[in-house]
Amino acid sequence: MEQFLYYLKVSLKSIRRAPLPYSLTVLILSLGLGVFFANATFYYRLNADPLPHKSDKLFFPFTMMVPYECQNCEPPNVLSYSNVQKLGATDIPTAKAAMYSADGYLRLTPQQPPLPVKIRLTQPDFFRMFEVPFLHGSVWPDASARAEVILSRQTAEKLFGDANVVGRSLTLDDHQYTVSAVLADWTMLPRLFDANNNNHLSEVEDIYLPLETGYDRNYLSNSQSSSFEDADYRKLPTDGRTKAIHQLQYWVQLDSAEQQQAYRQFMANLTADEKKAGRHPSPENNKLVAMRDIVAHFKQQGGDIEAFALVTLLFLLVCLFNASHLSLNRYISNQYEISLRRALGASRWHIQQQALADVLLMAGITAVAALLIGYCGVSLMNYLLPANRLFSSWDWSLLGGLLLLTLCCSYLVTLYPSLRASYGALNQQLKE
Amino acid sequence: MIKINNLSKIFRTELIETHALKNIQLHVSEGEFVALTGPSGSGKSTLLNVLGTLEHFDSGDYLLDGQSVRGLSDKALSALRNEKIGFIFQGFNLIKDYSLFDNIELPLRYRGFNAAERKRRVEHALEQVGLAARRDYHPSQLSGGQQQRVAIARAIAGQPRILLADEPTGNLDSLMARQVMELLEQINQNGCTILMVTHDPEQARRAGRQVQIIDGQLSDAAMYDPLQHTTPVAVA
Amino acid sequence: MISPKLILKSMLRRKVVTSLLLVQLALTLALLSNSSLLALQTWDQLRQPTNLDLDNILYVSLKPTSKNLQEYPAFADLLERQLAAVRQVPAVQAVSFTNQSPLMTGGSNGNVNDENDRERSNTQNVPQYTVSPEFLQVLQLDVLEGEIPQQIQAWDGAAVVPVVLTKSLAERVFPGKSAIGQLTNSGPVAAVIEDFYGQRNAERVMYNRLQIAQIYGVAWGYGLILRVTPGQAEQVRSQLPDVLKAVDANIEIFSVRTMDEQLHRMFRNEFGLATLLAVLSGLMLLVSMISSYSNAHFNALKRQQEIGIKRALGASKQGILLEMLTENWLTTGAGAVLGLTAAVGLNQLLALVISIPALPVWLPLTALLMLMCCVTLATWYPATIATRVSPATATKTL
Repeated sequence: MEQFLYYLKVSLKSIRRAPLPYSLTVLILSLGLGVFFANATFYYRLNADPLPHKSDKLFFPFTMMVPYECQNCEPPNVLSYSNVQKLGATDIPTAKAAMYSADGYLRLTPQQPPLPVKIRLTQPDFFRMFEVPFLHGSVWPDASARAEVILSRQTAEKLFGDANVVGRSLTLDDHQYTVSAVLADWTMLPRLFDANNNNHLSEVEDIYLPLETGYDRNYLSNSQSSSFEDADYRKLPTDGRTKAIHQLQYWVQLDSAEQQQAYRQFMANLTADEKKAGRHPSPENNKLVAMRDIVAHFKQQGGDIEAFALVTLLFLLVCLFNASHLSLNRYISNQYEISLRRALGASRWHIQQQALADVLLMAGITAVAALLIGYCGVSLMNYLLPANRLFSSWDWSLLGGLLLLTLCCSYLVTLYPSLRASYGALNQQLKE
Repeated sequence: MIKINNLSKIFRTELIETHALKNIQLHVSEGEFVALTGPSGSGKSTLLNVLGTLEHFDSGDYLLDGQSVRGLSDKALSALRNEKIGFIFQGFNLIKDYSLFDNIELPLRYRGFNAAERKRRVEHALEQVGLAARRDYHPSQLSGGQQQRVAIARAIAGQPRILLADEPTGNLDSLMARQVMELLEQINQNGCTILMVTHDPEQARRAGRQVQIIDGQLSDAAMYDPLQHTTPVAVA
Repeated sequence: MISPKLILKSMLRRKVVTSLLLVQLALTLALLSNSSLLALQTWDQLRQPTNLDLDNILYVSLKPTSKNLQEYPAFADLLERQLAAVRQVPAVQAVSFTNQSPLMTGGSNGNVNDENDRERSNTQNVPQYTVSPEFLQVLQLDVLEGEIPQQIQAWDGAAVVPVVLTKSLAERVFPGKSAIGQLTNSGPVAAVIEDFYGQRNAERVMYNRLQIAQIYGVAWGYGLILRVTPGQAEQVRSQLPDVLKAVDANIEIFSVRTMDEQLHRMFRNEFGLATLLAVLSGLMLLVSMISSYSNAHFNALKRQQEIGIKRALGASKQGILLEMLTENWLTTGAGAVLGLTAAVGLNQLLALVISIPALPVWLPLTALLMLMCCVTLATWYPATIATRVSPATATKTL
């Protein structure tokens, strides 16, 4: 320990001898690490799996059960009501839920000014499938229409001033509803069940409504909807249930490989039957996409973060090379002193220990500077690419990663020079 | 060849003022071989540096080959140094990264000779010092004596008017030292004026003339040789 | 003077340092070239022709907050009152309702085809605008053929609603003949107007379809688009929310934007990325300069002896300075050759994840020039210090 402190003291002395080259080396290294870390934060979070134990068991089925004919076309990204009825007419999945999102206005009493809210219209299995925690109350008993809503805790507090409001009533878009449950604090980042239109980057909804009620009350999707025949969107209760108005997302839970295989078979049989009955002229193109692959399936993720990831990695490499070069210069300058120590009896291992102390010192200072620069970088990226702002938070594992990377980089930067310093021919070096 | 009148040089730091050279008076004719002797710290090297325009002087006159050195621009001084003066140092001062050929060629490049001319001169110089076979070697591959011979080759490749040698045999054993002295004598016989700083009395005797410098002042009178008790030689 | 060959020889003797320098120079050049390219591309995108007066057209995005106001006839009445109120605002020259704004990434769109030639003429993702007749005055688009219907049609299923096509779309769907009177899948063509920029994700941004009709899906929100006297946009913008709330407070105003702001929003991601890359390039240049400075500083110290010898042999101060700069230029030049390859490589890698054009030759060369200037600047001071080395002290034996 005492020896280690001695090594640290020697390091500090050598820095004080020539502070400028050292601080420039540290500056360059922290720039590279800080910028890399800022982007890595977004990259890591955007590609995180919110339900790692389940993301390969939750699936979104796509089919070509559409009234138009198209060879070699991709199935639509949203389903129709009748699509969902047919795809759900089986016991194979452990759980299944159709859903879509809409906008609405919430009021405590009809006279109050409106509170704009984001609504998710869905079925009871949704909460189980995506492990949504409940604070008060319980989920709807079945998927039929009912005048009941489930609120997020923040919405409950914003409207009622309190979270324990099960049984109370409110007005949503001129209709009265009762609160059947309040959810505990819940985020899902990224929100992979709603990956259409890059919505997986936004926050969870404020209020949940039964799907059937949504159709009855003519709630249109605020995300993606298409119609493939002469259907009237204003007649959602009727046309919406029978005609080709596609606005639904559908998720099924298939826990085992057998279940998945069985469901695929079920889908194949279904589309074959439908085709035979003359309802859907297009050739079969069924897809069952797992949640962890859903973003890639929609091909909508702009490659911005990836591009920037590549570039910041290169920048880190450039900074590493630069810092190594400057570090080499420093060690060459100190060559005489190191050789002298060797001549006085220090073994190569002693020199390496000294180098290790140098590394730790550099890592410490660089880590602090890199964090500062990383923080500025994250703020700048939040300003320029605001869609990703939910993905910019730091936690201990990320910070630990940064520290490890800093340590590795400091080691690399110091390694070659220190090796060169301790392995040179002593007599030549002392003569210099 | 060299005319110095009342030359003084003062080294100034924040605390101390050192009068390294005081009112030096020295005339050297063309073709002379002069040995500059004196105790350590007396100002020999300083005088040599001033003669070689490596250092500026504070007062007095210095005429080199009829031309006054005072007031010349850096560019003019460099040109003068390049054309008229050759240097030989105690520590050889060869450039480690360059081969022998490149080391000797260096001053010729500054002179502006074309490649063919440079090649001719370098090869001639290498032959004169007896190292023609090693033109592509690097200094680290040679012994001390060989390195000094390379330095001499570099100094004479441009056919300077005057050669300034600062303890040229200081780092060499007696055999190599003798070889280097013989080389210098030969160069002197070919018409080159040589000024050599030395500690060694025997080497000083081999020179045609001895000049002693003590505490920054030349003692024009001869050096009293405690071993030999020779009569002093008058200096013009 | 001093030979490049000599400098190269001494560089080759220090292989590790030289290769570090070269790789880093190459990467710097690659990054500089590609970020400039992206910045230029974004610049081009922001300046592309829209045929719209970007500064003097405002778009108000809003929605009624009560369900009954979202339905007809209450909504029609609300619209009339809102339009009337906005017309009263000084500096407003024309105002129209519309279901969506021009200059958006995506939105309400559908397919358009010639009823008599569906397969060949089918054009997908054509933006569909339902507007009032003043829309064309607001956007100041000329009517090239036919006449704009003046009646706002209702979507009652009974009446046929005529369509208005932009010129490019008309030529696409009805090539070689007049589109007027022709039948499309949504109705007969009543007029052909000038092109304007509709949606970025459309097949062609100038393919647009209008119908003078009621807003269909009020639940999705709607917009009021207006033209103001030049220079008055800010003034009008500040008044609009109050004016509209005074008409009826049961509305939520999402935003009031100029078309210029819409354009920037469309390219926000590209702009963001280009800015980030520009910042990164600046940092890279900074790092190169710091590195050059420190390296030159180190060299000046380390090679004092060598410099002293050269000065003793007759090199002038200028000569030494030039030599140090030449060494820098040679290294940068060598790195540049590698950098050209690296730049092309990086360009291809980036093309895998974002849309970036191929690298034009002049770009890396310009980047090289900039790099050279920065590096020279950074080396100047240490190199000048180096020339002041006194040959006497430098050649002195220890």
